[in-house]
Amino acid sequence: MSMRVGIEVGGTFTDLVAVDGNRIEVIKVPSTPANPEIGAFNSLSGAGVNPIAIDDLVHGSTIATNAILERKGAKVGFVTTAGFRDILFLQRHDRHNIYDVKYAKPALPLRRRDCFEVEERVDAAGRIVVPLDEAAVSGLLVPRLAQGGYGAVAICLLSAYSAPGHEARVKALIEAALPNVRVACSHEVVREFREFERAATTVLSAYVQPVIDRYLSRFEETLASADFDGDFSVMQSNGGRLPAAAMRRNSITALFSGPAAGVVGAVRQAERSGRLNLITFDMGGTSTDVSLVINGTPSVAPETQIDGLPVRTPVLDIVSVGAGGGSLVWIDDGGMLRVGPRSAGASPGPACYRRGGLAPTVTDAHVVRGTIRGDAFLGGTMQLDVDAAHRSFEAIAKQLNLSVKDAAAAAIRLAVANIVRAVQVVSTERGRDPRDYVLLPFGGAGPLIAAEVAEELGVQEILVPPNPGLISAFGLLAADYVRITSVTRRCPLDKDAASILRQEFARFRAEAEREFIALGLHGALSFDITAEMRFVGQAFEIPVEVDADRLAALKEADLAAEFSTAHRRIYFHGGEPGRKVEIVGVRFGVRRRLEKLPEFRERPSQLRGPAAVEVWTPSGPVKTKLIAAADLASHEVVKGAAMIEGYSSTLWVPPNWRAERDQSGNILMGRDHR
Amino acid sequence: MTLDPVDYAIISQALIAVAREMGVKLVRSAYSTVLREARDGSAALLDAHGNTIAQAELIPMQLGTIGHVFKACQELYPNDELVEGDFLIINDPFSGGQHLPDVFMFQPIFFERKVIAFAASVAHHIDIGGGDPGLNTAAPDVYAEGLIIPPLKLNMQRDWHGGAFERLLRANVRVPHQTMGDFDAQIAAIAIGRRRVVELVTRYGAAKVTAVMAALLDYSEARMRSAIREIPDGVYKGEDAVDDDGLTDVPLPVKVTVTVTGDEIDIDFAGTANQVRRNLNSPFASTVSTAVSVLKAVLTGPDIPFNAGAFRPIKVRAPKGSMLNPNHPAPVRARMEVCFRAWNATMKALSRVVPDKVIACGFDTTTVAVLSHLTEGSGWSVYLEIFGGGYGAAVDQDGCDAVDGPLSNCSNTPIEAVDQDFAFFRVLEYRLRPDSCGRGKLRGGLGLLRRYEILQERVRIALYSDRFRRSAEGLFGGESGATGYCQIERGDRIIELKSKDAFDLIKGDIVTLAVGGGGGYGRAGERPRPQIDDDLDDGIISPEFASNWK
Repeated sequence: MSMRVGIEVGGTFTDLVAVDGNRIEVIKVPSTPANPEIGAFNSLSGAGVNPIAIDDLVHGSTIATNAILERKGAKVGFVTTAGFRDILFLQRHDRHNIYDVKYAKPALPLRRRDCFEVEERVDAAGRIVVPLDEAAVSGLLVPRLAQGGYGAVAICLLSAYSAPGHEARVKALIEAALPNVRVACSHEVVREFREFERAATTVLSAYVQPVIDRYLSRFEETLASADFDGDFSVMQSNGGRLPAAAMRRNSITALFSGPAAGVVGAVRQAERSGRLNLITFDMGGTSTDVSLVINGTPSVAPETQIDGLPVRTPVLDIVSVGAGGGSLVWIDDGGMLRVGPRSAGASPGPACYRRGGLAPTVTDAHVVRGTIRGDAFLGGTMQLDVDAAHRSFEAIAKQLNLSVKDAAAAAIRLAVANIVRAVQVVSTERGRDPRDYVLLPFGGAGPLIAAEVAEELGVQEILVPPNPGLISAFGLLAADYVRITSVTRRCPLDKDAASILRQEFARFRAEAEREFIALGLHGALSFDITAEMRFVGQAFEIPVEVDADRLAALKEADLAAEFSTAHRRIYFHGGEPGRKVEIVGVRFGVRRRLEKLPEFRERPSQLRGPAAVEVWTPSGPVKTKLIAAADLASHEVVKGAAMIEGYSSTLWVPPNWRAERDQSGNILMGRDHR
Repeated sequence: MTLDPVDYAIISQALIAVAREMGVKLVRSAYSTVLREARDGSAALLDAHGNTIAQAELIPMQLGTIGHVFKACQELYPNDELVEGDFLIINDPFSGGQHLPDVFMFQPIFFERKVIAFAASVAHHIDIGGGDPGLNTAAPDVYAEGLIIPPLKLNMQRDWHGGAFERLLRANVRVPHQTMGDFDAQIAAIAIGRRRVVELVTRYGAAKVTAVMAALLDYSEARMRSAIREIPDGVYKGEDAVDDDGLTDVPLPVKVTVTVTGDEIDIDFAGTANQVRRNLNSPFASTVSTAVSVLKAVLTGPDIPFNAGAFRPIKVRAPKGSMLNPNHPAPVRARMEVCFRAWNATMKALSRVVPDKVIACGFDTTTVAVLSHLTEGSGWSVYLEIFGGGYGAAVDQDGCDAVDGPLSNCSNTPIEAVDQDFAFFRVLEYRLRPDSCGRGKLRGGLGLLRRYEILQERVRIALYSDRFRRSAEGLFGGESGATGYCQIERGDRIIELKSKDAFDLIKGDIVTLAVGGGGGYGRAGERPRPQIDDDLDDGIISPEFASNWK
């Protein structure tokens, strides 16, 4: 037997999934934001898991994200090429809100006084234009860094993506003189062109690294004191995990690992039912995260954002919209009914929480229509105030001249529309038809409106995994060991392009194999290659995937054809004769696959309700069967209207829909044609 | 038909999402720096009557007038004469357009063989012919500024894709690879708009979607009216001035009278300078965009869809023959400068009644710099970059440093992208300009500067800017920001360029282009000392500048 445990620390709850052969433990405990590891260890004791018994522990947390949002990172100094000290403040010279006359740019966690220059310049081809003034680095820069008391230094020199020699040299000189200062070079964090984005990413990486490092060492110490001697790894935003030791060196990939873990858990669980083309939507308290999965592989985006700042690191391509259970329902000053993007959050929360919130939210709308039962929330551990939910909708109902129940139903339709638009961003806007995909809802609020989202999109099938509110913690256990790296390597698409890809890949592969062996990750590795391509003259690239097994025989024409198809899918044109194409960069992924996916089942529940309840639908009240999720046997068919109530979430099966649990524990839902 | 409030909310948000997607794809598939980095373009959906329903919010200046431009086309080519594949195209400033580089394209959206809407896109093209690459500062009239396209009905199959019009256009532009690529991006944006609207109509029915379009116009109108109602009735005046016309040293005043009556507002630019001989005139469409943009920015929340309904309570007037409504064939390429002064004048007029919502004058100038180089064999290489400056301060906030002006929203081109694309010059410096802010209780934003080293012979610079002489005024006792300048170091010599200028460069020249800062808000002596010291420690101001802060 081997015990595997995933612990996902979120803003409000800490989730745990523990799997030991056939034994499965699932629990949610309150998070402890001041010391997140306390909540994590509470979840272990709550589930009755002794650390000594754990062979494989995977952890995900919001620690990196919070360090940036709450400005709790290291004191960072920034070093760049002479003439360009201000790039972090100039940024891209645009505004994110074009009509805001009181606009303020997103701020990096340092001041102008913390930014320094070194004499040097390298051109785009990597040729040295101005040699590095090493004497000034040692004689001027180092003393100022020492004097400033910096805990970390980020170096980003122009064109270092092309020729990193000067950055490496500056780093060596600083480290030799100031051994206690951590130094991050831009070419180590992200080897891509566009200096502001690379510099911002490097600064943020340097800023959070000491925080992650301290947190992980505390975590490891606590584990060690409980005699834990298994593997300890940490989740990344690219959907893979890495041993904690590696994460302490490259912490920026830990940002937003939670949503990525959810996608991975959902995808792996859906695979068991043979469903590989998916649209996942994770609806939580404040937001909904949507992603599109083709052939069992979530797509990867080259960049994400935090607090308005760019983070140039490969992440799972997840679109987030401000539409969650806590999203506020309101009427704007033009008289239009709106849902979100503002949220009541965890505090004061929805009106039905009785924590001081009076304004109606999507959760209140569910309580009013009957799809959330007041005494069954979170397995009955949190009593909801049904009357307060009704009262919260009175003003809006009056203004729209609707009944309270119809106003709540209207709010849910708008919440559905918000999610539909997010799904369109990842599907139709990228040339993918949502009707070709299975909809996979999770998070506490996803299964409540999945059928309505599917109807709007024309989606035929919905797959609901067990314990939809804890799928992120399961995703930790389902994650492969992954490292993804991207490099700018600009070259025209001509007869030499394929051999340049082969060269770059050979270099990456050698490095990756060395690194994984050093991390103790033995076994077969698989590789992903994505060429970032565009027409010569364009500024935005389109990813073109290249099968690593086909690389040896790859031809220029193959790449041209793939690019042309991809461009046409998104922009409705492309591939006209005579238009030149170039490769701008390449993204490589290395993956050590999980040997066996752990089992996952519904958590048993002691909660029992009436056999039937009433739910308010657009066509009036509907008598609805009430079924406990854990009681739903394999191959048992449930015809709507029904509610399948679980520990972390409720599945709403509307009239004319049917749901069936399959042998892998998933519920498949579709329209009932009989 | 009566509209269900939920259908209305859902379909209207979907229409806005369509316009946004069109705009994103216009920019992301574009080729020239001016469209792909500076995002100088826009996209919109119009109803069958030509009212703008929803627009991609990219550049304030281009928003609002697409409908006006369209009217000129619709008068010539009524809906019932249009067939699948037809498109309308125009750039003529004297038929409702803005300036020649902005080429507008429209395509009807058919459903059951009836025109139900139009998809539109506009892009600022990096070169559209004319007397100089990218920008002809010496143009005496609109003919010298480039190829004039009057309202035309063309057919995609017949006239584009290698057809006669496409070939004519290609033959008249200096960088056809970029210009024609940007036209493809415009066509792609339109194709996306057409497809999405047809999807919506298929899903909800033409009657419902048409009703939502009408309701959305009423909705924006209602929100604009409720915003105007907040301003006390009265007559408010403001004034500012453009430095000069590039030929003389005489400032060119811009005057405005804002009259608020209930929920309506009248903006009259009477008293503004007469049109000038160089390209600083603004076609009336641009003047209207400016006036409406100020009101939107100052009075309303960001989420009001900017459509034809929002304009109904607003009247904009400018005397014919003035800089803000010139007679044909005045050159108009650099219209932004006078539009920015119209923005400043209107802001000042409003400052008397909504002092907490306005800001002091910012540098508020579009500075366009073009470096061009002709090489034997490979043709023209044209680099164009747009610079903003410092924002004016507000009652509760310092002005934003080094950002594009409020009527525009252009990104910079990354230095590393410039390094990859251009071998004939190199950027030596790109930095904030310390001390360029106006002092005040709240300070103005800083300007910025760039220095270029010219690496080859036969390079030419063309430039238009403003506020080289007249700085951005502070508000309520705040001080003015610094002016801008452009100079060339040639050996030991310094050559000063004017704010509207063109010049032949030689290898080894160093060009410095500096834009200024915004005005302060409130008296300088009221700023708490720790805030002054903080800026001092950051080098945002010098010790000397700080010691005069009183």
